[in-house]
Amino acid sequence: MLIIMRTSATKADVENVVARVKSFDLDAHLSDGAERTVIGVVGDGRPVEKSLFIRLPGVDNIVPISKSYKLASREFYPKNSLVPIGENRVGNGSAIIIGGPCAVENREQLLEAAQAVKDAGAHALRGGAYKPRTSPYSFQGMGEDGLKLLAEARDLTGLPIVTEIISPELVPLVADYADVLQIGARNMQNYSLLKAAGLTQRTILLKRGMSATISDFLMAAEYILSKGNQNVILCERGIRTFETATRNTTDINAIPVLKSLTHLPVMLDPSHSTGDWRFVSSLARSGIAAGADGLVIEVHPDPANALSDGAQSLKPKRFAELVNQVNIIANAMKAANITALPEG
Amino acid sequence: MMIIMKTSASQEELENVLASVKGLKLHPHRISGSERNVIGVVGDGRPIEPSNFIRLPGVASVIPISKPYKLASREFYPENTLIPIGDHVVGNGTPTIIGGPCAVESRDQILEVAKAVKEAGAHALRGGAFKPRTSPYSFQGMGEDGLKLLAEARDLTGLPIVTEVTSPDLVPLVADYAEVLQIGARNMQNYALLKAAGQTNRTVLLKRGMSATINDLLMAAEYILAQGNQNVILCERGIRTFETATRNTTDINAIPVLQAQTHLPVILDPSHSTGHWEYVSALARSGIAAGADGIIVEVHPDPACALSDGAQSLKPRRFKRLVKQVNAIANALKAEDISTNPLQ
Repeated sequence: MLIIMRTSATKADVENVVARVKSFDLDAHLSDGAERTVIGVVGDGRPVEKSLFIRLPGVDNIVPISKSYKLASREFYPKNSLVPIGENRVGNGSAIIIGGPCAVENREQLLEAAQAVKDAGAHALRGGAYKPRTSPYSFQGMGEDGLKLLAEARDLTGLPIVTEIISPELVPLVADYADVLQIGARNMQNYSLLKAAGLTQRTILLKRGMSATISDFLMAAEYILSKGNQNVILCERGIRTFETATRNTTDINAIPVLKSLTHLPVMLDPSHSTGDWRFVSSLARSGIAAGADGLVIEVHPDPANALSDGAQSLKPKRFAELVNQVNIIANAMKAANITALPEG
Repeated sequence: MMIIMKTSASQEELENVLASVKGLKLHPHRISGSERNVIGVVGDGRPIEPSNFIRLPGVASVIPISKPYKLASREFYPENTLIPIGDHVVGNGTPTIIGGPCAVESRDQILEVAKAVKEAGAHALRGGAFKPRTSPYSFQGMGEDGLKLLAEARDLTGLPIVTEVTSPDLVPLVADYAEVLQIGARNMQNYALLKAAGQTNRTVLLKRGMSATINDLLMAAEYILAQGNQNVILCERGIRTFETATRNTTDINAIPVLQAQTHLPVILDPSHSTGHWEYVSALARSGIAAGADGIIVEVHPDPACALSDGAQSLKPRRFKRLVKQVNAIANALKAEDISTNPLQ
């Protein structure tokens, strides 16, 4: 951490800050510039609270140097973590595709979607039984009945199940039925939910909050990892910006940035990140080309009558085309020896 | 345009609005809902000003329906427009690659980069002679001397020249030397400059403003087209968001969205949209996979000593690798006959 003193700071101000640093068993390194003094604070790797110094007289600003996440960082684990979804391992260089409806609506809809995504080449089935909807008047999901239908779809197709948890007390129930617990964008900083998910052995699909920075996102992953669950997949799903032409703005930069900062696998959800089915295939291709380990795609047999997210859901035929396109990109990258890791 | 009346609007207020619509020689279509009235305003295609109605008593809001841009819209011209850069054509399905330094710094520097980008497979050379820098104390460019060096680099390599115009009075001078006039993000809404560029017959590379919506970008293009110059290339270069891990946030959604809305070619600038050289190749691949018609990339023989944008500039060796990767993606899509046009 660097403590930047004001140009007007007195010698006594500087000495006071140095004394404070030493009182926490930290070392202070002074650099006297032409205009001002900067104090480097060196510790033993434990996080140093900037609030301990920011209010001292003469202090202008504090710049953290160390990253505040540890277990999630690539410095901690330099290889790519391989995270299981059923028999597949996410992060091993193959594009893993999760497809299915936004919400489980009924038996017929789910089984039809499950069979269709299986036939198209998906590796897992998504579908929400508990839905965190913006409006309390919107369809809130089928609850445990939906989980039972998901289990039936798994029996039918062999596809592992990805479904959302929205509350800590539901975690054991959902973990009984599902292979992967999804934590949605609205719950990315629901810390009691993150801790509950960290206490299970299920793979967690953690979606980025719509106004979370990449650093916030990695800190949320750190909550899960610090509870002992190492199976975390990160998912970029678009952020909130001033642009209104699309539902969200896909932060495609986040793919290579995350691949360089963390060993955890990174997926893209182009359905939510665009909000418009016409753009989903373009974005799916671009995500894989940018180095994503996989995709989460909304598929519905009849989008026009979907109870949620109809505008961004693909029909099964379009989804099959998307899978084909994504595989073409992934194969071309493999053939040209292009690794997902950013250069450096 | 739709005029939404307040739930509390009186019959008299409604009739007053209907009369105002008719007074402008437009046709009102009244829709009576259970809670409120909505009036559809139908004209002859000319733009209707919302301000004519928004202040009338009983009006809650006014929603435009028609797009405000005409010449730039795909409805106006459904094919892809092909735009020349020297002998090269942008928009014909093969990715256009423009490479070169942020700024022309010296004869040695520009000639060395020009040869390197030519050898790597670029189709045009970029380099700024007039630089719009955030700080008035930063290097402002070599001016006309820089243009002369760019012309020399063209003579040496045969590469057409892309360089920025920062002021309307400079347009004739820069057009004398360059094939392509670039209008930078900071000048996207410099309307005097847009009009001046529209009066030349040079190809204009128009970059998206850092807080411009896609609609704003198309309106800026409309300024150039309306002056009679049909050769406009749009460029996504990242937008300003809350994320600070990268210099800007690449709005990759803008690629398929623009291609759905306009016939003009769209290219991506992954150097500015990330601000870090480590991420430029991943983003270049993702742009082409999303359907971009090309990329513009900053290349410098010695980025550590560059007078501007050193952090995001690629060394020639890395640029060569980027070109190979981009072509691998483009060729794979072409070989499998995958159209990158957005679905309809």
